[in-house]
Amino acid sequence: MTEPAAIEHAKKEPRADDDWHRPAVGFALAGAVVAVLVIGVVDLPRAAAALPDIARHAMEIALPQWGQNEVVSEIVYGSRGWDTFGETFLLLAAVVSVVTLTRSPEARTEYIGESTAGRQEQAEIDPQGGGGDGDEQEARQAEEQEEQEEGEDVAPNADDLPLGTRAPERAAGMSVVVRVAARIAAVPLIVAGFYLCLLGYTPGGGFPGGAVILGVALLLYTAFGHQAVGRAVRPSVVEPIELLGAMVIIAVGLFGLLFKDSMFANFLTLAVPGTIRAGGTNQLFSGAELIEVATGLAIATFSLLGMKHDWAPDEDGDGADDGDAEADGDGGDSDGQGAQP
Amino acid sequence: VIVANYVAAAVLFSLGLLTVLTRRNLIKIILGLSLMESSTYLLMVSMAYRRGSTAPVLTTPPDGKSSSDLVHGNVADPVLQNFCLTAIVIGVAVTAVFLSAAVRVAQHYRSVDAADMTALKG
Repeated sequence: MTEPAAIEHAKKEPRADDDWHRPAVGFALAGAVVAVLVIGVVDLPRAAAALPDIARHAMEIALPQWGQNEVVSEIVYGSRGWDTFGETFLLLAAVVSVVTLTRSPEARTEYIGESTAGRQEQAEIDPQGGGGDGDEQEARQAEEQEEQEEGEDVAPNADDLPLGTRAPERAAGMSVVVRVAARIAAVPLIVAGFYLCLLGYTPGGGFPGGAVILGVALLLYTAFGHQAVGRAVRPSVVEPIELLGAMVIIAVGLFGLLFKDSMFANFLTLAVPGTIRAGGTNQLFSGAELIEVATGLAIATFSLLGMKHDWAPDEDGDGADDGDAEADGDGGDSDGQGAQP
Repeated sequence: VIVANYVAAAVLFSLGLLTVLTRRNLIKIILGLSLMESSTYLLMVSMAYRRGSTAPVLTTPPDGKSSSDLVHGNVADPVLQNFCLTAIVIGVAVTAVFLSAAVRVAQHYRSVDAADMTALKG
């Protein structure tokens, strides 16, 4: 290759075509859809229309049946509890999909633990641990050594260094100003997240609360880098918590069926409206939803952020021009190599 | 008038659809899907609006009224607010699925052009 390395590297970026694709068909279809939609929406109830019966019904039962001041929360966790249950498990399904899609084919991060399980199985089959010929052993040792070296490459935590140390700020974390500010801001934000859920005056309670908690995790990720957050937001920590939230939701539904003959019916005694325990099972559901949303979205986001560079191997050298040639590549075993110049 | 919001939602939805139809870059297709998603939030929140209404909250009734007055009073539609609330969280999760699939596709095909994804072509 006579080209400078940078040009060659740029050629290996994923191919993206920015041309319009059949613009006439696209504009015609989108135009037809907008025409149909506009005809539809101008007939929708306007700002002067009466509330639908279902909304008025929810307003009427919120206080007597649920002891809940916040009608939106009553609908989310009371009247439409079964529907919210379905949506929660849709969220869980989406999280499972993201985890499945983003996990590495090789067990570098031990996200699922295939390599640990494989090692145990290997030890059972072959207690001597010899396994394979010399070449294979050599390759395995080299791989392990490489993994260790990768681990040693980790820079020390900038916050452990004494102040005034003359060293470049690490790219993983942001400057000391941002780190201090993030530390201060994180505490009231976490409190705000739980407050939104606990007092139940917020529409939805656990949904916005969980989103705020995820926001705190992302703030800390931005300020401190993945190493600092990775210690807390670990799959082995977050996933059990998420499933615990899911189990609480199932339990709330089943207890309602058991005691009140209907899924998600309120089986708790009603507290004074406006207090923390107000709303019967609404608060329980809302708290479980806080856990579910915060951890579920955290798993999805951090799985996406932590995706490895599993580029398909470059078979013919100039993969940028020919997408089909790589179509049958293994997709897994050339970690980061393809992207190097 | 609130109909302008409805029409804006319809136009946003169609813009998203146009992106999905005429662009082959996977990231842009995902942006288009997100736009379609957002347009439904706008439509639902706009439909929940009632002229001169208050929030559907049964605390602190205004001077001289009781909570039962609020129950029959002029409030925004709580059911549609609830739809919007849950839809946002699901939308984030679904976008995460799209994006992780797009990253995997880009790594596998070395392309984010939908025309290059030919493995399932009959």
